Amino acid sequence: MLPQRLKKTITDNPKKLANLIDLANLPSPVREFVGQSQISRLGCFFRVWSYIKENNLQDPNNKNLVNCDEKLRSILLGKPQVELAELPALIKLHFPKVPK
Amino acid sequence: MGKIPPSFRPAISNSLTRKLPLEPPTSIPHHSPEKTTKKKPPQHPKKPQASGKAEALFKSPDLSSAKKVFNYIVSTTKYSPDLRFHNTLLQSYASISTLNDSISLLHHMIKTQPSFSPDRSTHHVLLSQSCKAPDSSLSAVNQILNLMINNGLKPNQVTTDIAIRSLCEVGRIDHAVELVKELSLKQSPPDNYTFNLLVKNLCKCRTLSTVYSFIDHMKSSFGIKPDLVTYTILIDNVCTSKNLREAMRLVGVLNDSGFKPDCFVYNTIMKGYCMLSKGSEAIEVYKKMKEEGIEPDLVTYNTLIFGLSKSGRVKEAKKYLDILVESGHFPDAVTYTSLMNGMCREGNALGAMVLLEEMERKGCTPNSCTYNTLLHGLCKCRLMEKGMDLYGAMKLAGMKLETASYATLVRALCREGRVAEAYEVFDYAVESKSLTDVAAYSTLEVTLKWLKKAREQGLAV
Repeated sequence: MLPQRLKKTITDNPKKLANLIDLANLPSPVREFVGQSQISRLGCFFRVWSYIKENNLQDPNNKNLVNCDEKLRSILLGKPQVELAELPALIKLHFPKVPK
Repeated sequence: MGKIPPSFRPAISNSLTRKLPLEPPTSIPHHSPEKTTKKKPPQHPKKPQASGKAEALFKSPDLSSAKKVFNYIVSTTKYSPDLRFHNTLLQSYASISTLNDSISLLHHMIKTQPSFSPDRSTHHVLLSQSCKAPDSSLSAVNQILNLMINNGLKPNQVTTDIAIRSLCEVGRIDHAVELVKELSLKQSPPDNYTFNLLVKNLCKCRTLSTVYSFIDHMKSSFGIKPDLVTYTILIDNVCTSKNLREAMRLVGVLNDSGFKPDCFVYNTIMKGYCMLSKGSEAIEVYKKMKEEGIEPDLVTYNTLIFGLSKSGRVKEAKKYLDILVESGHFPDAVTYTSLMNGMCREGNALGAMVLLEEMERKGCTPNSCTYNTLLHGLCKCRLMEKGMDLYGAMKLAGMKLETASYATLVRALCREGRVAEAYEVFDYAVESKSLTDVAAYSTLEVTLKWLKKAREQGLAV
Protein backbone atom coordinates (compact mmCIF):
# COMPACT_ATOMS: atom_id res chain seq x y z
CA MET A 1 0.00 0.00 0.00
CA LEU A 2 1.22 3.43 -0.86
CA PRO A 3 2.04 5.50 2.19
CA GLN A 4 -0.39 8.33 2.71
CA ARG A 5 2.37 10.88 2.95
CA LEU A 6 3.88 10.12 -0.43
CA LYS A 7 0.80 11.16 -2.33
CA LYS A 8 0.77 14.54 -0.69
CA THR A 9 4.37 15.30 -1.38
CA ILE A 10 3.98 15.01 -5.11
CA THR A 11 1.62 17.92 -5.43
CA ASP A 12 3.55 19.85 -2.80
CA ASN A 13 6.95 19.26 -4.30
CA PRO A 14 7.65 22.21 -6.59
CA LYS A 15 10.22 20.33 -8.62
CA LYS A 16 7.92 17.45 -9.43
CA LEU A 17 5.10 19.86 -10.05
CA ALA A 18 7.22 21.87 -12.48
CA ASN A 19 8.18 18.67 -14.21
CA LEU A 20 4.47 18.07 -14.78
CA ILE A 21 3.22 21.47 -15.84
CA ASP A 22 6.16 23.26 -17.43
CA LEU A 23 6.06 23.62 -21.17
CA ALA A 24 8.66 21.55 -22.91
CA ASN A 25 9.93 21.59 -26.48
CA LEU A 26 8.69 18.53 -28.24
CA PRO A 27 10.45 16.02 -30.47
CA SER A 28 8.98 15.95 -33.97
CA PRO A 29 6.60 12.95 -33.76
CA VAL A 30 4.87 14.37 -30.71
CA ARG A 31 4.86 17.81 -32.27
CA GLU A 32 2.88 16.43 -35.17
CA PHE A 33 0.51 14.58 -32.86
CA VAL A 34 -0.43 17.52 -30.68
CA GLY A 35 -0.09 20.10 -33.42
CA GLN A 36 2.01 22.51 -31.40
CA SER A 37 5.67 22.79 -30.64
CA GLN A 38 5.41 23.05 -26.86
CA ILE A 39 3.21 21.33 -24.31
CA SER A 40 3.44 20.24 -20.71
CA ARG A 41 3.58 16.60 -19.74
CA LEU A 42 0.16 16.92 -18.14
CA GLY A 43 -1.27 18.57 -21.24
CA CYS A 44 0.21 15.90 -23.43
CA PHE A 45 -1.35 13.17 -21.33
CA PHE A 46 -4.75 14.84 -21.57
CA ARG A 47 -4.40 15.12 -25.35
CA VAL A 48 -3.46 11.49 -25.82
CA TRP A 49 -6.13 10.22 -23.44
CA SER A 50 -8.89 12.24 -25.05
CA TYR A 51 -7.63 11.15 -28.48
CA ILE A 52 -8.04 7.54 -27.37
CA LYS A 53 -11.53 8.21 -26.10
CA GLU A 54 -12.65 10.21 -29.14
CA ASN A 55 -11.50 7.56 -31.56
CA ASN A 56 -12.72 4.61 -29.51
CA LEU A 57 -9.31 3.03 -29.48
CA GLN A 58 -9.87 1.02 -26.33
CA ASP A 59 -10.16 -2.68 -27.06
CA PRO A 60 -13.86 -3.58 -26.91
CA ASN A 61 -13.09 -6.90 -25.20
CA ASN A 62 -10.65 -5.52 -22.67
CA LYS A 63 -10.97 -1.85 -21.94
CA ASN A 64 -7.58 -1.86 -20.27
CA LEU A 65 -5.91 -2.23 -23.66
CA VAL A 66 -5.55 0.39 -26.34
CA ASN A 67 -5.32 -0.60 -30.00
CA CYS A 68 -3.10 2.08 -31.42
CA ASP A 69 -3.89 3.62 -34.77
CA GLU A 70 -1.23 4.93 -37.11
CA LYS A 71 -1.06 8.31 -35.43
CA LEU A 72 -0.91 6.99 -31.90
CA ARG A 73 1.68 4.40 -32.80
CA SER A 74 4.02 7.16 -33.95
CA ILE A 75 4.34 8.51 -30.42
CA LEU A 76 4.05 5.29 -28.40
CA LEU A 77 7.20 3.47 -29.52
CA GLY A 78 5.42 2.02 -32.55
CA LYS A 79 3.57 -0.52 -30.44
CA PRO A 80 0.40 -1.89 -32.03
CA GLN A 81 -1.23 -2.34 -28.63
CA VAL A 82 -0.47 -0.71 -25.30
CA GLU A 83 -1.90 -1.10 -21.82
CA LEU A 84 -3.68 1.88 -20.35
CA ALA A 85 -1.61 1.35 -17.24
CA GLU A 86 1.64 2.12 -19.05
CA LEU A 87 0.34 5.24 -20.79
CA PRO A 88 1.84 7.79 -18.36
CA ALA A 89 5.21 6.06 -18.48
CA LEU A 90 5.21 5.98 -22.29
CA ILE A 91 4.36 9.64 -22.50
CA LYS A 92 7.04 10.46 -19.98
CA LEU A 93 9.63 9.08 -22.39
CA HIS A 94 9.13 12.16 -24.54
CA PHE A 95 9.87 14.42 -21.61
CA PRO A 96 13.42 13.64 -20.59
CA LYS A 97 14.76 15.18 -17.40
CA VAL A 98 16.45 18.47 -18.07
CA PRO A 99 19.86 18.51 -16.42
CA LYS A 100 20.54 21.79 -14.71
CA MET B 1 -13.01 13.10 6.47
CA GLY B 2 -15.39 13.66 9.38
CA LYS B 3 -15.25 17.37 9.81
CA ILE B 4 -16.01 19.42 12.84
CA PRO B 5 -18.04 22.46 12.12
CA PRO B 6 -16.31 25.51 13.51
CA SER B 7 -18.56 25.90 16.48
CA PHE B 8 -17.45 29.30 17.58
CA ARG B 9 -17.72 30.96 14.18
CA PRO B 10 -21.38 31.87 14.33
CA ALA B 11 -20.81 33.48 17.68
CA ILE B 12 -18.11 35.68 16.31
CA SER B 13 -19.10 36.61 12.84
CA ASN B 14 -22.89 36.72 12.87
CA SER B 15 -23.00 39.45 15.40
CA LEU B 16 -20.81 41.55 13.19
CA THR B 17 -23.15 41.84 10.29
CA ARG B 18 -25.71 43.71 12.31
CA LYS B 19 -23.93 46.98 12.19
CA LEU B 20 -23.22 47.30 8.52
CA PRO B 21 -25.21 50.32 7.50
CA LEU B 22 -24.65 49.80 3.82
CA GLU B 23 -27.19 48.31 1.56
CA PRO B 24 -26.35 44.87 0.32
CA PRO B 25 -23.92 45.53 -2.48
CA THR B 26 -25.57 45.44 -5.84
CA SER B 27 -24.32 42.83 -8.17
CA ILE B 28 -21.38 43.59 -10.35
CA PRO B 29 -22.48 44.13 -13.93
CA HIS B 30 -22.19 40.95 -15.91
CA HIS B 31 -22.65 42.48 -19.31
CA SER B 32 -19.57 43.17 -21.25
CA PRO B 33 -19.17 46.85 -21.96
CA GLU B 34 -20.95 47.50 -25.22
CA LYS B 35 -19.67 50.12 -27.55
CA THR B 36 -23.10 51.43 -28.44
CA THR B 37 -24.14 52.27 -24.93
CA LYS B 38 -21.05 54.28 -24.37
CA LYS B 39 -22.17 57.25 -26.42
CA LYS B 40 -25.88 56.84 -26.09
CA PRO B 41 -26.73 55.74 -22.62
CA PRO B 42 -30.45 56.52 -22.82
CA GLN B 43 -31.19 53.19 -24.41
CA HIS B 44 -31.65 51.13 -21.36
CA PRO B 45 -33.77 48.09 -21.82
CA LYS B 46 -34.86 48.22 -18.20
CA LYS B 47 -36.39 51.26 -16.64
CA PRO B 48 -35.10 51.89 -13.18
CA GLN B 49 -37.42 50.53 -10.54
CA ALA B 50 -39.38 52.97 -8.50
CA SER B 51 -37.94 51.42 -5.36
CA GLY B 52 -34.62 52.94 -6.31
CA LYS B 53 -32.86 49.63 -6.69
CA ALA B 54 -30.07 49.74 -9.19
CA GLU B 55 -29.42 46.60 -11.16
CA ALA B 56 -26.02 46.56 -12.76
CA LEU B 57 -26.57 49.95 -14.27
CA PHE B 58 -23.05 51.01 -14.96
CA LYS B 59 -21.70 48.99 -17.78
CA SER B 60 -18.44 50.82 -18.21
CA PRO B 61 -15.92 52.18 -15.72
CA ASP B 62 -15.69 55.27 -17.92
CA LEU B 63 -16.57 58.39 -15.91
CA SER B 64 -18.35 60.44 -18.57
CA SER B 65 -20.64 57.61 -19.55
CA ALA B 66 -21.31 56.93 -15.87
CA LYS B 67 -22.40 60.55 -15.43
CA LYS B 68 -24.76 60.18 -18.38
CA VAL B 69 -26.20 57.01 -16.95
CA PHE B 70 -26.73 58.77 -13.65
CA ASN B 71 -28.42 61.76 -15.29
CA TYR B 72 -30.64 59.45 -17.26
CA ILE B 73 -31.72 57.49 -14.22
CA VAL B 74 -32.47 60.63 -12.24
CA SER B 75 -34.47 62.15 -15.09
CA THR B 76 -36.63 59.07 -15.62
CA THR B 77 -37.39 58.06 -12.06
CA LYS B 78 -40.84 59.03 -10.81
CA TYR B 79 -39.92 59.54 -7.18
CA SER B 80 -37.47 61.99 -5.80
CA PRO B 81 -34.25 60.09 -5.24
CA ASP B 82 -33.29 59.70 -1.59
CA LEU B 83 -30.01 59.03 0.14
CA ARG B 84 -30.15 55.28 -0.25
CA PHE B 85 -30.82 55.68 -3.92
CA HIS B 86 -27.66 57.69 -4.36
CA ASN B 87 -25.62 55.35 -2.19
CA THR B 88 -26.73 52.36 -4.18
CA LEU B 89 -25.81 54.01 -7.45
CA LEU B 90 -22.45 55.03 -6.10
CA GLN B 91 -21.83 51.54 -4.78
CA SER B 92 -22.75 50.03 -8.10
CA TYR B 93 -20.33 52.30 -9.91
CA ALA B 94 -17.60 51.85 -7.28
CA SER B 95 -17.61 48.11 -7.86
CA ILE B 96 -16.20 48.61 -11.37
CA SER B 97 -14.46 51.96 -11.33
CA THR B 98 -11.34 53.50 -9.88
CA LEU B 99 -11.47 55.43 -6.63
CA ASN B 100 -10.88 58.82 -8.23
CA ASP B 101 -13.68 58.26 -10.73
CA SER B 102 -16.01 57.33 -7.87
CA ILE B 103 -15.12 60.53 -6.05
CA SER B 104 -15.77 62.50 -9.24
CA LEU B 105 -19.15 60.82 -9.65
CA LEU B 106 -20.02 61.73 -6.07
CA HIS B 107 -19.12 65.35 -6.80
CA HIS B 108 -21.25 65.19 -9.91
CA MET B 109 -24.16 63.83 -7.87
CA ILE B 110 -23.86 66.63 -5.33
CA LYS B 111 -23.68 69.25 -8.06
CA THR B 112 -26.66 68.05 -10.06
CA GLN B 113 -28.82 67.05 -7.10
CA PRO B 114 -28.88 69.89 -4.57
CA SER B 115 -31.26 67.90 -2.36
CA PHE B 116 -28.68 65.17 -1.92
CA SER B 117 -26.34 65.61 0.99
CA PRO B 118 -23.93 62.73 1.41
CA ASP B 119 -23.71 61.33 4.92
CA ARG B 120 -21.43 58.83 6.57
CA SER B 121 -22.78 55.83 4.72
CA THR B 122 -22.08 57.51 1.39
CA HIS B 123 -18.49 58.02 2.38
CA HIS B 124 -18.32 54.46 3.64
CA VAL B 125 -18.98 53.27 0.11
CA LEU B 126 -15.88 55.11 -1.03
CA LEU B 127 -13.93 54.03 2.02
CA SER B 128 -14.65 50.40 1.35
CA GLN B 129 -13.57 50.86 -2.26
CA SER B 130 -10.32 52.52 -1.22
CA CYS B 131 -9.56 49.67 1.17
CA LYS B 132 -10.26 46.97 -1.36
CA ALA B 133 -7.98 48.33 -4.05
CA PRO B 134 -4.50 46.86 -3.90
CA ASP B 135 -2.17 49.56 -2.67
CA SER B 136 1.24 49.76 -1.10
CA SER B 137 0.24 52.41 1.40
CA LEU B 138 -2.78 53.76 3.22
CA SER B 139 -2.77 57.06 1.33
CA ALA B 140 -6.00 56.37 -0.56
CA VAL B 141 -7.75 55.33 2.65
CA ASN B 142 -6.53 58.44 4.40
CA GLN B 143 -7.69 60.52 1.45
CA ILE B 144 -11.26 59.31 1.99
CA LEU B 145 -11.05 59.73 5.75
CA ASN B 146 -9.87 63.31 5.24
CA LEU B 147 -12.70 63.87 2.77
CA MET B 148 -15.12 62.73 5.48
CA ILE B 149 -13.63 65.02 8.07
CA ASN B 150 -13.66 67.95 5.66
CA ASN B 151 -17.34 67.34 5.08
CA GLY B 152 -17.88 67.55 8.81
CA LEU B 153 -18.29 63.82 9.43
CA LYS B 154 -16.13 62.39 12.14
CA PRO B 155 -15.21 58.75 11.58
CA ASN B 156 -17.00 56.55 14.10
CA GLN B 157 -16.87 52.89 15.04
CA VAL B 158 -18.77 51.87 11.97
CA THR B 159 -16.18 53.65 9.83
CA THR B 160 -13.42 51.77 11.60
CA ASP B 161 -15.24 48.49 11.20
CA ILE B 162 -15.83 48.93 7.48
CA ALA B 163 -12.26 49.95 6.80
CA ILE B 164 -10.77 47.08 8.80
CA ARG B 165 -13.17 44.55 7.38
CA SER B 166 -12.45 45.60 3.81
CA LEU B 167 -8.71 45.60 4.37
CA CYS B 168 -8.81 42.13 5.92
CA GLU B 169 -10.98 40.86 3.11
CA VAL B 170 -8.30 41.59 0.55
CA GLY B 171 -5.47 40.47 2.79
CA ARG B 172 -3.99 43.86 3.69
CA ILE B 173 -3.45 42.79 7.28
CA ASP B 174 -0.50 45.03 8.05
CA HIS B 175 -2.41 48.03 6.75
CA ALA B 176 -5.38 47.06 8.88
CA VAL B 177 -3.20 46.99 11.99
CA GLU B 178 -1.64 50.31 11.05
CA LEU B 179 -5.05 51.89 10.45
CA VAL B 180 -6.54 50.60 13.68
CA LYS B 181 -3.71 52.16 15.64
CA GLU B 182 -4.06 55.40 13.71
CA LEU B 183 -7.82 55.57 14.23
CA SER B 184 -7.48 54.68 17.90
CA LEU B 185 -5.16 57.67 18.27
CA LYS B 186 -7.78 59.83 16.55
CA GLN B 187 -10.44 58.92 19.12
CA SER B 188 -12.19 56.40 16.91
CA PRO B 189 -11.15 53.11 18.46
CA PRO B 190 -12.54 49.83 17.23
CA ASP B 191 -15.30 48.13 19.20
CA ASN B 192 -14.98 44.54 20.33
CA TYR B 193 -16.37 43.11 17.11
CA THR B 194 -13.88 44.91 14.92
CA PHE B 195 -11.07 44.15 17.31
CA ASN B 196 -11.89 40.44 17.36
CA LEU B 197 -12.21 40.34 13.60
CA LEU B 198 -8.75 41.76 13.27
CA VAL B 199 -7.33 39.36 15.87
CA LYS B 200 -8.90 36.47 14.02
CA ASN B 201 -7.36 37.56 10.74
CA LEU B 202 -4.01 38.18 12.38
CA CYS B 203 -4.07 34.67 13.82
CA LYS B 204 -4.52 33.25 10.35
CA CYS B 205 -1.37 34.65 8.88
CA ARG B 206 0.95 35.97 11.58
CA THR B 207 2.93 34.38 14.36
CA LEU B 208 1.44 34.04 17.79
CA SER B 209 3.91 36.54 19.24
CA THR B 210 2.79 39.17 16.72
CA VAL B 211 -0.81 38.63 17.74
CA TYR B 212 0.05 38.83 21.43
CA SER B 213 2.06 41.99 21.02
CA PHE B 214 -0.79 43.57 19.04
CA ILE B 215 -3.27 42.68 21.78
CA ASP B 216 -0.92 44.01 24.46
CA HIS B 217 -0.36 47.20 22.51
CA MET B 218 -4.10 47.82 22.11
CA LYS B 219 -4.65 47.13 25.77
CA SER B 220 -1.85 49.30 27.14
CA SER B 221 -2.22 52.20 24.71
CA PHE B 222 -5.94 52.44 24.10
CA GLY B 223 -7.52 50.39 26.85
CA ILE B 224 -9.11 47.90 24.50
CA LYS B 225 -9.28 44.69 26.46
CA PRO B 226 -9.63 41.24 25.01
CA ASP B 227 -13.01 39.68 25.81
CA LEU B 228 -14.21 36.10 25.98
CA VAL B 229 -14.54 35.91 22.20
CA THR B 230 -10.97 37.12 21.76
CA TYR B 231 -9.76 34.37 24.06
CA THR B 232 -11.86 31.82 22.21
CA ILE B 233 -10.25 32.89 18.94
CA LEU B 234 -6.79 32.62 20.48
CA ILE B 235 -7.49 29.24 22.03
CA ASP B 236 -8.85 27.98 18.76
CA ASN B 237 -5.77 29.22 16.98
CA VAL B 238 -3.33 27.48 19.29
CA CYS B 239 -5.44 24.32 19.32
CA THR B 240 -5.36 24.23 15.53
CA SER B 241 -1.60 24.44 15.64
CA LYS B 242 -1.69 21.61 18.18
CA ASN B 243 -0.18 23.70 20.93
CA LEU B 244 -2.41 22.56 23.76
CA ARG B 245 -0.07 23.70 26.51
CA GLU B 246 -0.51 27.25 25.33
CA ALA B 247 -4.26 26.67 25.15
CA MET B 248 -4.28 25.64 28.81
CA ARG B 249 -2.24 28.72 29.70
CA LEU B 250 -4.80 30.87 27.89
CA VAL B 251 -7.63 29.23 29.80
CA GLY B 252 -5.77 30.21 32.97
CA VAL B 253 -5.40 33.81 31.76
CA LEU B 254 -9.05 33.83 30.85
CA ASN B 255 -10.03 32.72 34.34
CA ASP B 256 -7.69 35.30 35.90
CA SER B 257 -9.28 38.07 33.84
CA GLY B 258 -12.59 37.21 35.42
CA PHE B 259 -14.21 35.39 32.53
CA LYS B 260 -16.00 32.12 32.88
CA PRO B 261 -15.43 29.71 30.01
CA ASP B 262 -18.63 29.18 28.05
CA CYS B 263 -19.75 26.39 25.78
CA PHE B 264 -17.74 27.73 22.85
CA VAL B 265 -14.49 27.78 24.80
CA TYR B 266 -15.01 24.21 25.97
CA ASN B 267 -15.93 23.06 22.48
CA THR B 268 -12.79 24.64 21.12
CA ILE B 269 -10.54 22.97 23.68
CA MET B 270 -12.27 19.68 23.09
CA LYS B 271 -11.69 20.06 19.36
CA GLY B 272 -8.01 20.59 20.08
CA TYR B 273 -7.79 17.32 21.97
CA CYS B 274 -9.82 15.47 19.39
CA MET B 275 -7.57 16.56 16.55
CA LEU B 276 -4.70 15.01 18.44
CA SER B 277 -6.78 11.86 18.94
CA LYS B 278 -6.74 12.35 22.69
CA GLY B 279 -10.10 10.82 23.46
CA SER B 280 -9.71 10.58 27.23
CA GLU B 281 -8.82 14.25 27.58
CA ALA B 282 -11.82 15.15 25.44
CA ILE B 283 -14.05 13.20 27.82
CA GLU B 284 -12.40 15.05 30.71
CA VAL B 285 -13.39 18.36 29.13
CA TYR B 286 -16.93 17.05 28.74
CA LYS B 287 -17.05 16.09 32.43
CA LYS B 288 -15.63 19.45 33.43
CA MET B 289 -18.37 21.17 31.47
CA LYS B 290 -21.00 19.16 33.25
CA GLU B 291 -19.39 20.00 36.62
CA GLU B 292 -19.39 23.70 35.83
CA GLY B 293 -23.04 23.47 34.91
CA ILE B 294 -22.60 24.30 31.25
CA GLU B 295 -25.01 22.49 29.02
CA PRO B 296 -23.21 20.75 26.15
CA ASP B 297 -24.70 21.50 22.74
CA LEU B 298 -24.83 19.49 19.54
CA VAL B 299 -21.37 20.68 18.56
CA THR B 300 -19.95 19.38 21.84
CA TYR B 301 -21.37 15.95 21.21
CA ASN B 302 -20.35 15.94 17.58
CA THR B 303 -16.82 16.88 18.54
CA LEU B 304 -16.69 14.20 21.18
CA ILE B 305 -18.07 11.54 18.86
CA PHE B 306 -15.64 12.61 16.18
CA GLY B 307 -12.69 12.48 18.56
CA LEU B 308 -13.58 9.12 20.03
CA SER B 309 -14.18 7.62 16.61
CA LYS B 310 -10.89 8.99 15.43
CA SER B 311 -8.99 7.42 18.29
CA GLY B 312 -10.64 4.07 17.67
CA ARG B 313 -13.19 4.14 20.47
CA VAL B 314 -16.34 3.71 18.43
CA LYS B 315 -18.20 1.90 21.19
CA GLU B 316 -17.90 4.87 23.52
CA ALA B 317 -18.72 7.20 20.69
CA LYS B 318 -21.98 5.34 20.19
CA LYS B 319 -22.73 5.74 23.87
CA TYR B 320 -22.48 9.50 23.46
CA LEU B 321 -24.81 9.31 20.49
CA ASP B 322 -27.41 7.89 22.88
CA ILE B 323 -26.72 10.60 25.44
CA LEU B 324 -27.04 13.18 22.68
CA VAL B 325 -30.47 11.91 21.75
CA GLU B 326 -31.53 11.68 25.41
CA SER B 327 -30.63 15.30 26.00
CA GLY B 328 -32.97 16.36 23.25
CA HIS B 329 -30.65 17.00 20.34
CA PHE B 330 -31.02 15.54 16.88
CA PRO B 331 -27.95 13.84 15.45
CA ASP B 332 -27.03 15.42 12.12
CA ALA B 333 -24.92 14.40 9.15
CA VAL B 334 -21.74 15.32 11.03
CA THR B 335 -22.62 13.01 13.91
CA TYR B 336 -23.30 10.06 11.66
CA THR B 337 -20.34 10.72 9.40
CA SER B 338 -17.98 10.82 12.38
CA LEU B 339 -19.31 7.49 13.58
CA MET B 340 -19.02 5.98 10.12
CA ASN B 341 -15.49 7.26 9.93
CA GLY B 342 -14.71 5.44 13.15
CA MET B 343 -16.31 2.23 11.98
CA CYS B 344 -14.47 2.36 8.66
CA ARG B 345 -11.21 2.83 10.52
CA GLU B 346 -11.96 -0.38 12.39
CA GLY B 347 -12.49 -2.09 9.06
CA ASN B 348 -16.22 -2.32 9.62
CA ALA B 349 -17.39 -0.67 6.41
CA LEU B 350 -20.47 -2.88 6.28
CA GLY B 351 -21.51 -1.64 9.71
CA ALA B 352 -21.07 1.89 8.42
CA MET B 353 -23.37 1.07 5.52
CA VAL B 354 -25.99 -0.15 7.99
CA LEU B 355 -25.61 3.13 9.83
CA LEU B 356 -26.20 4.96 6.55
CA GLU B 357 -29.53 3.18 6.23
CA GLU B 358 -30.43 4.05 9.80
CA MET B 359 -29.47 7.64 9.21
CA GLU B 360 -31.64 7.92 6.12
CA ARG B 361 -34.50 6.18 7.88
CA LYS B 362 -34.39 8.83 10.56
CA GLY B 363 -34.68 11.54 7.96
CA CYS B 364 -31.12 12.79 8.07
CA THR B 365 -29.71 13.45 4.63
CA PRO B 366 -26.13 12.29 4.07
CA ASN B 367 -23.81 14.85 2.54
CA SER B 368 -20.83 14.49 0.25
CA CYS B 369 -18.53 14.03 3.25
CA THR B 370 -20.63 11.05 4.36
CA TYR B 371 -20.37 9.44 0.95
CA ASN B 372 -16.66 10.10 0.69
CA THR B 373 -16.09 8.53 4.11
CA LEU B 374 -18.04 5.44 3.10
CA LEU B 375 -16.36 5.18 -0.29
CA HIS B 376 -12.98 5.38 1.36
CA GLY B 377 -13.97 2.73 3.91
CA LEU B 378 -15.47 0.34 1.36
CA CYS B 379 -12.42 0.52 -0.87
CA LYS B 380 -10.12 -0.06 2.08
CA CYS B 381 -12.10 -3.13 3.01
CA ARG B 382 -11.92 -4.29 -0.62
CA LEU B 383 -15.67 -4.27 -0.99
CA MET B 384 -15.38 -3.03 -4.55
CA GLU B 385 -18.89 -3.82 -5.76
CA LYS B 386 -20.52 -1.82 -2.99
CA GLY B 387 -17.89 0.84 -3.46
CA MET B 388 -18.63 1.19 -7.16
CA ASP B 389 -22.38 1.34 -6.44
CA LEU B 390 -21.76 4.16 -4.02
CA TYR B 391 -19.49 5.89 -6.50
CA GLY B 392 -22.24 5.62 -9.09
CA ALA B 393 -24.69 7.25 -6.70
CA MET B 394 -22.22 10.04 -5.97
CA LYS B 395 -21.71 10.61 -9.68
CA LEU B 396 -25.45 10.81 -10.26
CA ALA B 397 -25.75 13.39 -7.53
CA GLY B 398 -22.80 15.33 -8.94
CA MET B 399 -20.89 15.07 -5.67
CA LYS B 400 -17.24 15.87 -5.53
CA LEU B 401 -14.63 13.32 -4.58
CA GLU B 402 -12.24 14.12 -1.78
CA THR B 403 -8.54 13.58 -2.24
CA ALA B 404 -8.35 10.56 0.05
CA SER B 405 -11.37 8.73 -1.27
CA TYR B 406 -10.36 9.44 -4.87
CA ALA B 407 -6.88 8.04 -4.29
CA THR B 408 -8.21 4.98 -2.48
CA LEU B 409 -10.75 4.27 -5.18
CA VAL B 410 -8.22 4.60 -7.99
CA ARG B 411 -5.78 2.38 -6.17
CA ALA B 412 -8.35 -0.27 -5.32
CA LEU B 413 -9.50 -0.41 -8.95
CA CYS B 414 -5.95 -0.68 -10.27
CA ARG B 415 -5.18 -3.42 -7.80
CA GLU B 416 -7.99 -5.48 -9.26
CA GLY B 417 -6.72 -4.78 -12.76
CA ARG B 418 -9.61 -2.46 -13.56
CA VAL B 419 -7.38 0.25 -15.00
CA ALA B 420 -9.97 1.47 -17.50
CA GLU B 421 -12.39 2.14 -14.65
CA ALA B 422 -9.66 3.94 -12.75
CA TYR B 423 -9.24 6.18 -15.80
CA GLU B 424 -12.96 6.78 -15.78
CA VAL B 425 -12.80 7.86 -12.12
CA PHE B 426 -9.91 10.12 -13.05
CA ASP B 427 -12.04 11.68 -15.78
CA TYR B 428 -14.87 12.23 -13.33
CA ALA B 429 -12.57 13.82 -10.77
CA VAL B 430 -11.25 16.23 -13.37
CA GLU B 431 -14.65 16.95 -14.86
CA SER B 432 -16.34 17.56 -11.50
CA LYS B 433 -13.38 19.70 -10.44
CA SER B 434 -12.99 17.59 -7.30
CA LEU B 435 -9.24 17.97 -7.44
CA THR B 436 -6.86 19.99 -9.50
CA ASP B 437 -5.80 18.36 -12.74
CA VAL B 438 -2.31 18.05 -11.36
CA ALA B 439 -3.40 16.32 -8.17
CA ALA B 440 -5.75 13.97 -10.00
CA TYR B 441 -3.11 13.06 -12.56
CA SER B 442 -0.22 12.59 -10.18
CA THR B 443 -2.33 10.25 -8.05
CA LEU B 444 -3.15 8.23 -11.13
CA GLU B 445 0.44 8.21 -12.31
CA VAL B 446 1.86 7.19 -8.94
CA THR B 447 -0.73 4.47 -8.59
CA LEU B 448 0.07 3.04 -12.00
CA LYS B 449 3.75 3.13 -11.18
CA TRP B 450 3.01 1.26 -7.99
CA LEU B 451 0.89 -1.21 -9.95
CA LYS B 452 3.79 -1.98 -12.26
CA LYS B 453 6.01 -2.74 -9.30
CA ALA B 454 3.35 -4.81 -7.60
CA ARG B 455 2.86 -6.82 -10.77
CA GLU B 456 6.55 -7.50 -11.05
CA GLN B 457 6.47 -8.86 -7.53
CA GLY B 458 3.37 -10.84 -8.33
CA LEU B 459 1.22 -8.89 -5.86
CA ALA B 460 -1.44 -7.60 -8.21
CA VAL B 461 -3.33 -8.74 -11.26
